[in-house]
Formats: sequence, C-alpha cells, structure tokens
Amino acid sequence: MARTKLYTGIYVALFVIATMQVAVEQIGLLESSYMLALGLITVFSLVKAVVVAGYFQHLVWEPRSVTYVMLLGFVGFLALTVAASYSIL
Amino acid sequence: MTDDNQPRTDGGTATALPGDSHDDDHLPPRWSLKRWLVTTNHKDVGLLYLATAMFFLVFGGVLALLIRAQMWSPRAPGTGVLSAMAYNQAVSLHGLIMVFWFISPFATGFANYIVPLQIGAEDLAFPRLNALSYWLYLASGILVFASFFQGSSFAGGWTLYAPLNIPAFMPSIGATTTVFAIVVFCASITVGGVNFLTTIHRMRAPGLTMRSLPLFTWSWLLTAWMMLLAFAALLAAVMILLSDRMLGTTYFAATTAGGSVLWTHLFWFFGHPEVYIVFFPALGAMAEIFQTFSGNRIVGRKWFIVSMVLVALQSFIVWMHHMFLTSINLEVKTLFMATTIGISLPFDLMVFALIYTLIKGRIRWDTPMLYAFGALVLFIVGGITGVFLGAVVLDYEFRGTYWVVAHFHYVMVSGVTGLIAGLFYWFPKMTGKTYDEFLGKLSFAVYFTGFNLLYFPLFLAWGTPRRVFAYRPEYVGWHRLASVGAVILGIAFLLIIYNLAKSIVAGDDAAANPWPYSTTAEWAVASPPPIENFPGKPSYVSGSLEFLDDDATAAAAADGGTAATDGGHAALESGHGDDVHVDHASYWPVTIGLFTLVTALGLSGLQVGSYPSGLEGLFYQGASVLGVVGLLGSITAMGYENFTAHEGGLGEAWPFEGVENTKMGMWVFLASDVVLFGAFIGAAIFLRVAYGWTQWHPIPHNPIPGLVNTYLLLTSSFTVILALVAAQKRSRKGVVASLTLTFLLGLGFLANKAIEWVVLFSEGTGLDSSVRASTYYLTTGLHMGHVIAGLLVTAYLIWRAWNGAYTDGNDETLEYFGLYWHFVDIVWLFLFPLFYIV
Repeated sequence: MARTKLYTGIYVALFVIATMQVAVEQIGLLESSYMLALGLITVFSLVKAVVVAGYFQHLVWEPRSVTYVMLLGFVGFLALTVAASYSIL
Repeated sequence: MTDDNQPRTDGGTATALPGDSHDDDHLPPRWSLKRWLVTTNHKDVGLLYLATAMFFLVFGGVLALLIRAQMWSPRAPGTGVLSAMAYNQAVSLHGLIMVFWFISPFATGFANYIVPLQIGAEDLAFPRLNALSYWLYLASGILVFASFFQGSSFAGGWTLYAPLNIPAFMPSIGATTTVFAIVVFCASITVGGVNFLTTIHRMRAPGLTMRSLPLFTWSWLLTAWMMLLAFAALLAAVMILLSDRMLGTTYFAATTAGGSVLWTHLFWFFGHPEVYIVFFPALGAMAEIFQTFSGNRIVGRKWFIVSMVLVALQSFIVWMHHMFLTSINLEVKTLFMATTIGISLPFDLMVFALIYTLIKGRIRWDTPMLYAFGALVLFIVGGITGVFLGAVVLDYEFRGTYWVVAHFHYVMVSGVTGLIAGLFYWFPKMTGKTYDEFLGKLSFAVYFTGFNLLYFPLFLAWGTPRRVFAYRPEYVGWHRLASVGAVILGIAFLLIIYNLAKSIVAGDDAAANPWPYSTTAEWAVASPPPIENFPGKPSYVSGSLEFLDDDATAAAAADGGTAATDGGHAALESGHGDDVHVDHASYWPVTIGLFTLVTALGLSGLQVGSYPSGLEGLFYQGASVLGVVGLLGSITAMGYENFTAHEGGLGEAWPFEGVENTKMGMWVFLASDVVLFGAFIGAAIFLRVAYGWTQWHPIPHNPIPGLVNTYLLLTSSFTVILALVAAQKRSRKGVVASLTLTFLLGLGFLANKAIEWVVLFSEGTGLDSSVRASTYYLTTGLHMGHVIAGLLVTAYLIWRAWNGAYTDGNDETLEYFGLYWHFVDIVWLFLFPLFYIV
C-alpha cells in the first residue's frame, strides 16, 4: 500500500540499470577496455540483485539472520568459483 | 542447578513423568501397512529411516563381502568370484550405498525420532515434507537397486570421476539410473534439511536457548546446515552429469579443457563436508552417551560446541586436499594443506573434551558406552592416518592406494560405530523394550575385533592400488586377514540385528528412563513416547523441564502464536492439540515418492537425446510420461490438501524470531538454490577460465533478446509485488490481474527463449556443439525450468485467488511465492551478462 511508490521507483531504476548494462556493450567498451567493462557490468548486476533482494524480497525488513542465511549460500558459491578457477591459473 | 527430582535438559538428571495415553490420534495401528504408508509423525518416519538404512547396510555389506572374496588372492581379469565389470560395480555401489543410502539416512532416523523430543517439539515443522523426504530416499534406493538390472550399474568408483562417468566410457542405462538415484537422494536431503533447520531454529520449547541445546541436537543442527549447502553442490554436479549422459552436453568430455578437474571440484566441494555430515551425528550421540555413562557433564561444553561450529564452517574450505594429484597449481595445494591442518585443531579439542569427560567421571560399561568408546578409539586412528593424506608430498605417495581405503573406513565406520552406540542407547526409548545386555556386549567384542582385523591390515598392504583386484603377492596375507575380518564384522552386524529383533519381540518392557544420569528431555516421557510426545507443553523457563497445561500455553499462543500449516490450510493451535485437530497422515508424500521413482526410471532410458528402440524404448517413454503426469497431479493434490501441523514461534526461535515457519523454510530452500545455481554458474566460469577467458564468446549473437527477457522478468517481479499489495488492499480483482500479468510475462520470457533456441538450433548450434554451447543451454535451461515451475505455481495461485483466497488477511502464500519468483529474477540478472554480453 504505502510502499507502492517505492516499489515503482525501484522497478524503474532496475529497468534503467539493465539498459545501462547492455549500453556498456553497445558503445564498444568491451572491445576498448575489457576489464573496465566487465567490472561495470558485474557491479550493475550486483546492484540490481541487492535491490531486488532487499526491497522486493523484503530482506531489509526481515531479521538480519535471514540475510546471513542467503549470504552463506552466496559465499559458498564465491568460494567454489574463485578457488576452483584460481586452482588452474 | 535444579532439583534432581525434576526432568531437565542437558546437565542434570532426567526423571520420567507418567506417560500420556498411547492414543495414536486416528492413525492406523502400528501393525497395519497403511499406517507406515501414510504416517507423517516424526517418530514413525524415524523408524522407517532406521529400518530402511539397515536394509541398505546389509545390501552394501554383501557387496563388501563379494569384494573381499575377490581380494582373497591377486586376480587376473575373469578369475575369482566376480567378473572384472561385476567387481567394478560392486566396488562402486558398495561405496555409494554405504555413504548415501546407509550412514546418512541411519543418522537421519535418529534425528527424526530424537531431535523433536529433545527440543520440546510435538513434531517437525513440516510433517508431510518429512514423510516426503523419506519416500524420496526410498525411491532413490530402489533406483540404485534397479540399476543392476539395466545392463550394468555404475562401475566407475563411488567418486564418479570424469571422464569415466560419461556414456563414451560408461554407456549402460543402469549407470544413468545410478546417477538419477543420487539426484533423487539429493532432493530428499534438501527437503529434510529445510525441515530440520526450520524445526530446530523455530520450534524449541520456551527457555531452551541455543546454549542449552542438547549436544546431539547441536550436532544435527550443524549437520543439517552442512547437508543443505554441500548436497546442493552435489546436486549441481550430478544434474550436469545427467545432462551429459541424457542430453549430450560436453562438460565432462575427455576433450573438454578442465572437464575432469571440474568434476573433482564439484564433487569434493560436497565430498569433504560429507565426511563431517556422516560423523557429526555420531559425535553428538557419543557426547550424549559419554555424559550419561560417566555421570559427568561434558568437559568444556561451550568450547565443544564452538569447535563443532568451526569444523562445520572449515569443512567447506578443505576440499582440494582430495585433488593434490590433479593438475591444480602448487600454490592452491599449499593453501589447502594449511586449511586441512587447521580443521584438525577443533577436532583435537573435541576429542580431548571427550577423553577428559571420561577421566573425570565414573564410567559404566554398558553396551552403548562400549560402542561409543570404541568409536572414539577408531576415530582417533582414522584421524591420525588422515594427516598423512593432508600433506601434499606424502599424498603424492599415498593417493590411490589402500592407505586411503583404510583411513577412510576408520573414519567413516567409526561414525557407524558411534551410531550403533546410539542405536543401543535409544533402543529402549524407541521400542519400549530393553535389549539383551550380554548379546550387546558380545556383539561389541566381535565387532571391534572384526573391524580392526578388516581395516588395519589394509594400512600394512597400503601399496595395493585402490579399486583394483590385482596386487603384489607379498600382500596376500594381509588381504586374507582383512577378508576374515570382514566375515567377523558381518557376524557382528548379524548379532546386533538378532539382538534387537529378538528384544522387540520378547524383550522386557523398558522404563521411561532406563539410564541413570541421562539429562535430555526424551528420557522424561514414556517409552515409546505418545503421538504428541509430551503430557503438556514443555517449558524450560523455570530452569528445568516442566510440562505446562493448556491454559498457560493458550495465553502464549494469543501472544504472537500464528497459523500453523504444512502448505495446506491454516488453523490456530492452542494448548496441547485438544482444541484443534493436528494431522498425522497423508497419502501424498508416498504418492509423490512413487511417481518420482517412475519418472526417474523412465527418464533413465534417455541416452544422449534418444530412447532405445522397440519395446524397451516404449517402456521408458511410457514411464516418463506417466511419472511426470502423476508427479504434477500429486504435488498439486498435496498443495491443496487440508493438513494442519504444529506451529513454532511459541518458544525459543533465535535467530529467526518473527519469521514464520513456511517463510523460513522458503529462505533456507533458496539458500540451497543459491549454491545449486552458484555451482552451475561456477562451472561455466571455471570452464571458461580453462578454455581461455577472452577466447570464449557468448553463444547468442545479439544481447537484445536477452535484454528484452530481463525487462520481462523485472516487470513480472514488479507485478508479483503488486499482487501482494492488492491482497493487502483486499482487492480480489487486483490480485487476479497482477498474477495473470505475471503469468503472461513469464510465458513471454519462455517464448522469447524458445525463439532464441530455435534460431540457434537451425544454425547448427546444439547442446553438443561445444562446451560454450553446453554451458549456455544447460545453465539457462535450468533457469527456464525454475521459470516453468514458477508459472505452474502462478496458475494455481490465480485459480485460488479467483476463488477468493489471499484477500481475507491470509496473503502469506503470495509473499512466499514472491520470494521464489524474485530469486528466479535475481539469478537471471547474473545469467544475462554472463551468457549474452561479456
């Protein structure tokens, strides 16, 4: 009810960030500066994910322990991916 | 300290109160087969787990005896009791069955029976899901059994290493069925893990804080967390393997750069925590038994718990010590050697705490104590011999030899020994009968002798190559000794089974609390406990265990107690179940288990994109269709079933106060799904690194269709939120319209993906075209599967909303569905750039 405006604002912001993500590729940044473009695209994804989890999934209004549960899974993913990829460098 | 006449939790003496009536609340009687098919009561499910696990112990044990018979002498292929392939199957399935279908479910049986009693809960949070967890376990076990009759079961070792695990080297349908069995087993574990975590965190009696939680429950809580995350990684691994086998993707193909190393990463990321998943419940049981039979509280209890928590966390950062002989770099090997040494430190503390507890106490050598003490001794041997394998240089020598076999069995089977201690310890509670003490002690003597005769010689014959029946002649003596030990150990198991079976039939009645100095709540109720467990609402608020009457708890319920369901309709529970009927039976878990079995059996016939020809193919296709239709129908029916369960949140719920059971269950499930998707995404990233990051280009030529799909999913997330807002405004039209929009947006997403795939297929880019294509199709395909599942639920919600649901103040279901749908959206936010842009 009271949050409809907030949800709408977030939805518009997500829409814009998604567009910016593709714009990074369309303007040729991946060709000219790959690492910068990769970093930007990754940050955009993370921001979108945090906003969806925080507001659409209501994590900001839940006990912090619920966030930690999700972070546990995410840290597991990071540990596996980073360590495994590093192991073959 | 509390009055010794009062029952209490850990740290004092449990005194039994008069038992409640043994009214099983409209459940069919125990002698009726129907009861065991429909029951959702945690004690019944616990007994089902224990009995089934014992069957698989015998199954795996027979395979072990066949292995030892083959190893009686060094063999050439084609000689001995087993053919070469039969030997490979026996070795592989012995390992798989013992690890997956015996040890963990055996522990799950105890957890089912004992944990709710220890924490003061009448049942688990989601009783039907608990039953479902069991039936999925049984279905997976039947699949393993069936795999022997489908050409050949899996024959590449229990670690299922790549590339031996793909159809090029392991072409039988039975091998696919084995892998499918593991998938179903993982599903069972996930369902069970969600249930136990919700229960232990949310359904503790008032006053039962985490610090005062009994050690067995602590050990199981940590086991459940480890299972939830570790098995999600294994689920990802076996799903990818199934895709390689059934659809023809090329993750683990011999020609894929990094493919075989990828498998070892995924498998051991699960596999090392699995060691603790197996051992922790035994450790918890041992801690309980050491306290009871030494009459002494465990020394350094707080640090014992801290150590368990540390081991649970550290278990996820040691997996690469299983990979020292692969092509991973020296830096990471050194790092993982250090973390491996690190994990031994908290274990040392726990071992010393157990030893010192005995030194400070007065030990009574009853059968449970003998087995628990034996487990500790065996575990110490297993632990010390494992240090060799954690050191890089020594591991170069020992890896792939019988040293590993001996060490591994000392660790894993010491866990079994601890659980057998638990079996004797809790047998009187579970059956209401006492076992034969003489036979119990005799079985231990035979067991300990057989165990060490079997496994210790394997250290001395360590130069024998693992999983091979040819070995140097100088090891013949040690192998024959081991084979004799295997027979003796088998006799010990028969003695145990005979003792317990005889006692169930003709044993003396057991008192509610047969053990002096026992301290946990299960000993404060009758043996076996009544269906609702307690004669009143358990409470520890006064400092000792009390059973409150209905009036007191009704007041508590009014002060924040909420609706209680297991996915069905809600009802406010008050008191001790006298005012509101609490259900204990449902047909749907067993039905879903049955159709899961049929589905998996049918789909196992799908080999690299096609079914076998003729009648055989018709059978597999028919089973696939029947299974899927039956599954959808029975899941829907279970969702609509009117089933009332006990609700938590009336007692201790730290750290999840205010998060209803179903919501917490959903969050916990999503955490496991994060690991599942994480492993899929991690696999794609790993293979790209192996391939050469910048040489790897996205499969879709144009990111715009992907962007359109991003818009569609983001919009659908927004409409789900609008549905919730409409429900809060009591607007039925608003809910229906928002959900319908969500459904249409989801359909649009699928249609867009379908067009994209059709175009790619028409261009000749199939699943097997390249590893790039495989990762793209499979990862986005898994996501599509989640979207489809979400749309099925959305359709159900629209139907319910159309009929007036969710606008009567009960809009929780919409919120819980939203959690899932937004998660699917979040996953896409990462898949889109990874597979379309960079």
